[in-house]
Amino acid sequence: MKRFVYINEDNLAHDLYCDNRISNRKYTIWNFLPKNLWEQFSRFMNQYFLLIACLQLWSLITPVNPASTWGPLIFIFAVSATKEAWDDYNRYLSDKKANEKEVWIVKQGTKKLIQAQDIRVGNLVWLRENDEVPCDLVLLGAADPQGICYVETAALDGETDLKTRLIPPACVGIDFELLHKIKGVIECPSPDKDIRRFDANMRLFPPFLDNDVCPLTIKNTLLQSCYLRNTEWACGVAVYTGNETKLGMSRGIPEPKLTAVDAMIDKLTGAIFVFQIVVVIVLGIAGNVWKDTEARKLWYVRYPKEGPWYELLVIPLRFELLCSIMIPISIKVSLDLVKSLYAKFIDWDDQMVDLETGIRSHAANTAISEDLGQVEYILTDKTGTLTENKMIFKRCFVSGTFYGNENGDALTDAELLSAVSSGSTDVIRFLKVMAICNTVIPVQSKNGSISYKAQSQDEEALVRAAARLHMVFVNKNGNFVDIKFNASTIQYEVLDILEFTSDRKRMSIVVKDSQSGKIILLSKGADEAILPHAYTGQQVRTYAEAVEQYAQLGLRTLCLAWRELEDEEYQEWAVMFKEANSSLVDREWRVAEVCQRLEHDFEIIGVAAIEDRLQDGVPETIETLRKAGLNFWMLTGDKQNTAIQIALSCNFVSPEPKGQLLMINGKTEDEVCRNLERVLLTMRITSSEPKDVAFVIDGWALEIALKHYRKAFTELAILSRTAICCRVTPSQKAQLVELLKSCDYRTLAIGDGGNDVRMIQQADIGVGISGREGLQAARAADYSIGKFRFLKRLILVHGRYSYNRTAFLSQYSFYKSLLICFIQIFFSFISGVSGTSLFNSVSLMAYNVFYTSVPVLVSVLDKDLSERTVMQHPQILFYCQAGRLLNPSTFAGWFGRSLFHAIVVFVITIHSYAFEKSEMEEVSMVALSGCIWLQAFVVALETNSFTILQHLAIWGNLVGFYVINWIVSALPSSGMYTIMFRLCRQPSYWITMILIVAGGMGPVLALKYFRYTYRSSKINILQQAERLGGPILSLGNIEPQSRSLEKDLSPLSISLPKNRNPVYEPLLSDSPNSTRRSFGPGVPFDFFQSQSRLSSSYSRNCKDN
Amino acid sequence: MNSNTPSSSAGGPGSADATAPRRNSKRPKYSRFTQQELPACKPILTPKWVISTFLLVSFIFIPIGIVSLFASRDVVEIVHGYETECIPSGSRNDKVGFIQSDQDKTCIRTLTVPKDMSQPIYVYYQLDNFYQNHRRYVRSRSDQQLRSPENARETGSCSPEDTVGDTAIVPCGLIAWSLFNDTYHFTSNNGGQIPINKRGISWQSDRERKFGRNVYPSNFQNGTLIGGARLNESIPLSEQEDLIVWMRTAALPTFRKLYGKIEVNLRQGDVINVTLQNNYNTYSFNGRKKLVLSTTSWLGGKNDFVGIAYLTVGGLCFFLAIVFVLIYLIKPRQLGDPSYLSWNRNPGGH
Repeated sequence: MKRFVYINEDNLAHDLYCDNRISNRKYTIWNFLPKNLWEQFSRFMNQYFLLIACLQLWSLITPVNPASTWGPLIFIFAVSATKEAWDDYNRYLSDKKANEKEVWIVKQGTKKLIQAQDIRVGNLVWLRENDEVPCDLVLLGAADPQGICYVETAALDGETDLKTRLIPPACVGIDFELLHKIKGVIECPSPDKDIRRFDANMRLFPPFLDNDVCPLTIKNTLLQSCYLRNTEWACGVAVYTGNETKLGMSRGIPEPKLTAVDAMIDKLTGAIFVFQIVVVIVLGIAGNVWKDTEARKLWYVRYPKEGPWYELLVIPLRFELLCSIMIPISIKVSLDLVKSLYAKFIDWDDQMVDLETGIRSHAANTAISEDLGQVEYILTDKTGTLTENKMIFKRCFVSGTFYGNENGDALTDAELLSAVSSGSTDVIRFLKVMAICNTVIPVQSKNGSISYKAQSQDEEALVRAAARLHMVFVNKNGNFVDIKFNASTIQYEVLDILEFTSDRKRMSIVVKDSQSGKIILLSKGADEAILPHAYTGQQVRTYAEAVEQYAQLGLRTLCLAWRELEDEEYQEWAVMFKEANSSLVDREWRVAEVCQRLEHDFEIIGVAAIEDRLQDGVPETIETLRKAGLNFWMLTGDKQNTAIQIALSCNFVSPEPKGQLLMINGKTEDEVCRNLERVLLTMRITSSEPKDVAFVIDGWALEIALKHYRKAFTELAILSRTAICCRVTPSQKAQLVELLKSCDYRTLAIGDGGNDVRMIQQADIGVGISGREGLQAARAADYSIGKFRFLKRLILVHGRYSYNRTAFLSQYSFYKSLLICFIQIFFSFISGVSGTSLFNSVSLMAYNVFYTSVPVLVSVLDKDLSERTVMQHPQILFYCQAGRLLNPSTFAGWFGRSLFHAIVVFVITIHSYAFEKSEMEEVSMVALSGCIWLQAFVVALETNSFTILQHLAIWGNLVGFYVINWIVSALPSSGMYTIMFRLCRQPSYWITMILIVAGGMGPVLALKYFRYTYRSSKINILQQAERLGGPILSLGNIEPQSRSLEKDLSPLSISLPKNRNPVYEPLLSDSPNSTRRSFGPGVPFDFFQSQSRLSSSYSRNCKDN
Repeated sequence: MNSNTPSSSAGGPGSADATAPRRNSKRPKYSRFTQQELPACKPILTPKWVISTFLLVSFIFIPIGIVSLFASRDVVEIVHGYETECIPSGSRNDKVGFIQSDQDKTCIRTLTVPKDMSQPIYVYYQLDNFYQNHRRYVRSRSDQQLRSPENARETGSCSPEDTVGDTAIVPCGLIAWSLFNDTYHFTSNNGGQIPINKRGISWQSDRERKFGRNVYPSNFQNGTLIGGARLNESIPLSEQEDLIVWMRTAALPTFRKLYGKIEVNLRQGDVINVTLQNNYNTYSFNGRKKLVLSTTSWLGGKNDFVGIAYLTVGGLCFFLAIVFVLIYLIKPRQLGDPSYLSWNRNPGGH
């Protein structure tokens, strides 16, 4: 499918393509009600309640007033519909704002200001500096004479660096005025969401040159939501508009997330539903049998001889309605309420405020806090998430001297400063490479200060450092760069840029000294890409050692090199380079080959070490969370070595004797397959050993593994607790999340950049760090936090408490509903299985709405363990992760309890209120108050910490029950007129209540005490220790003893990294039995060779860069 | 959240000393509730507490049980089933036929007072296996109609005993229709009448609020099927106390309803002759009828259940307390011992 865009043709294509109106709305005013209702009724629970409510309208079968179901049902629906409507209204407002933004377009040859929503495909759009691009454009003109303009694509892909965009060659040189009249046609593909690809052709009409079709790439486009930077103006033709832009196509309404707890509740609800059906069928049959054998003899009931055709259905349906309270209608409302409170607690938490920026943590998704406590895998971005994403030049090694080793900062090293001022040639050359060999753009502001716009943070760090050392990169004017050293300005002409690619791992630049006319090649790159190409005779050993030393410190290293070129050599090479650059086949490979011809015989100048500092508390956080049984995967777009280095320094992987890194590399299917199998084998062997095994995979291999060896890779993912994936794309990140999710793991993705957005949306829980890379991630995420270290508190405190509280609340909701339902069922056995309700409508409704919901709602304040204890013993999270507090067996406990309590209440009530006291209303109130008393004590027994609010809610609720019933009893029109007053005057009523409480709670208390003391769970032990001040409290200060893996509790037990050996230990080994590889000073390159055994084409090392 | 950001962005990535003073001002308002740090008492189940709770419960429950049991024993109760005895021996093979016939159903029974009974002595009739709580039955009434004469036609819920022809039945419904109609007369052995006071046997609130003073029975028992008792159409419903009592439906299939009060004391050994009209049909469903004379105590009538239940629970608690003490002594276990945490165990420890 193709579309043809006629440039600047007002009459064409107007109705062919949509206008530029952006719409993120889900509803319109007209379809809101039906669509929203349809969505709500697609949920099983709602369908069920609707069915019940409808059945209740049939008075023949209804045991209670239909209002008792309709009221809550309508309330619930109204609440969620209002919420949806409000969200949609806000989306509408933000859309409106974007749509009404004013832009300049050309119409009938003149510029006009119109609203962004009126842009049509084919319109010429003019943008000024710092304008947001309103739709997808193909560039036609720019202020720069060479047709270069810069865009910031952060909103699209999360990358904050400036990207260059080019005018298509056919348009270069067209006059500003003529641009208004430009005509032509662009043949482009139908809208898609690939933001890295745009394969189109353009042909301009006369009077513009129309000799040839001009190919267009993504480089010639300005995509919607990017910002135009450092360019005075640009103009382009709209090719995709509205929701058909690349951004619009890739935007989807994320699926609503369902927590594991919700899924479990749904499952339990399903089980209860089945149970209910069974009960209904059994009682229905029993009822019909009893009716035909017994009830027909009861002359006072006067069953008609012949009933209607549906007669057999009447009794089962009555029981269905009677039992419908088994599934508590209030549970959804209660859960929504407490969930939003959990979210508020996160928002309010003072300990999760980033003090530097004042950014608070925020829970954007209020529905999934419990999942935080059940996370099993954390997939984390590296840069900006673990690290601060502030590259700082820290140390360097120039001509045999280490600078910055003493004070840790080369910029303040007096030795280096004096070397600079004294004009040491080596140092000067080093600084020049730092300042020139890059693609940085200096931007001079009005007050004279220079800021740098760089594609890579490393380059920016180098340029800044050079500036601090008086080698200031002042200006870049076309091909000329100006450098100010001390007071003098030096100008160089940039002849060629040999761009950085991940294969070459270096970039070079050829410059000509404007004064001397000398041609120089400046290079910088990873050590393995530079050092082997030194000129014969240069001692590279010292440099390799320096790299080694810096790598140990976790610094990123770059080797800087230089070579003076002969004129003829360069001229000869330049021709080849041009040719390679214009080749149409295998261009990248050819260019690399040509570059190789120039990049040899380097004179190594030095090694620069750059630090990307870890954020505060990252190693501790990771250690604590790993102790809590969480598995960490690092997904980074960064290089393998850097990733490994960071992983080491933040406790991600343990150093050699404890930990082991397994590499999966390879460019071909075969290699990847071999690697994968080898790693898998190793994993299987070591999975029983207390060893910290992690695998490392890069983007290429991952692509192949996911495509062809998905099964093996999935097994690997399950086996390994730690993984490092480097050079992965945003979509691969999302694929990995998907993979783990498909293995039924709860995943949490944390990241800070727009490139993490997809994985954040894909994961069960997305956490965004509101960091330097902007707010896209934080906006897309369910939770946004200021710093990585808050993750610990988010999971261990908020996640855990939320899970515990919801586990109690949901099971309790079922307990209380089952309790009253069982009593109804028992009562049916003494009422001729006819479906009589013991309780009246008012009581039934109030039981769910008031009497039992208030005390349990304050369980959101319950804390089983103090935050401090949890932080000291993060292993306790296992109970949440494994869902130990809410699963079919705990639920069976609650089920049993409600059955037992129903028996207690029922038996005691009908025996103590027998004979002359067996009046229906009285018996009903005695049973009801028995239930209320019991549930108050159940809540009290299950509460771990009583605050004043809990006391108020639990005991106040009990008082409230009597007050409400006294009020109702005072109304002559109500069925239970005077009942409660009569009861409260009878000593036997109070005696019965005490008996019910003691009979119901005694066994429960005894059982709980026994389990608490003699079969105690870890939580119980910690509770006891915490409250009795046992020896455990001091444990936090004691150095943990060496710990072992325990097979039965494997998720709990983690081997702790020992104090890290200050001496760097190699991480790579190809088999579990491999011995430590030695790095003798004499064999610096032995390492590369020995590695090549593993993967022939891909040489790697474990040093940094 | 957003309110904090503008001021901070102005500061930018400030130097270290710039952050120090801001630190305090940035701290949001502290509230113990929002930080989930409300002072809380955190009780745990220590042996001391649990055992003393059980002991305490047993020490309270056993005396109450004994007192309740004594109260129940003090109640003197005469229960006399008569549903078979009041059928002439010739008709016992066809009890239903007898009860539905027009024969004279007078029956004389003799009761002996086992113990002194002081007034008031309550006279109940007890029905067994009578489902006043059956769904068809229990809802077959119209409270509006009973309350006010304007609502005489509110018979919607009364089917099948709602109207005769086109005129509404007052009181309508199966409950009223099946009103109990056995009657009792007591004479002492020496021939003197023992009067039964039938006033004030129903709830005062029912007489005053639920059954209208100016609602008179009409059309009652006029249909083809005659259920139970007839009502005197000149007496308003609020004074038809037997009906009021009957219409307080029982929750259990075995129930007693107050027939009247004897306001004289009865001596031990007194013989009472009961002349009863055995009209009510319990034979078609094997129901039983009993005449009950009972005194009362602070707990109500004779009911051993509460006392026995209290003694059982109290005893059980005592037993549990003893068991827990024994376990505690035999197998002491330190609470909160960190060595029970599996992740603290030594490699050789398991």
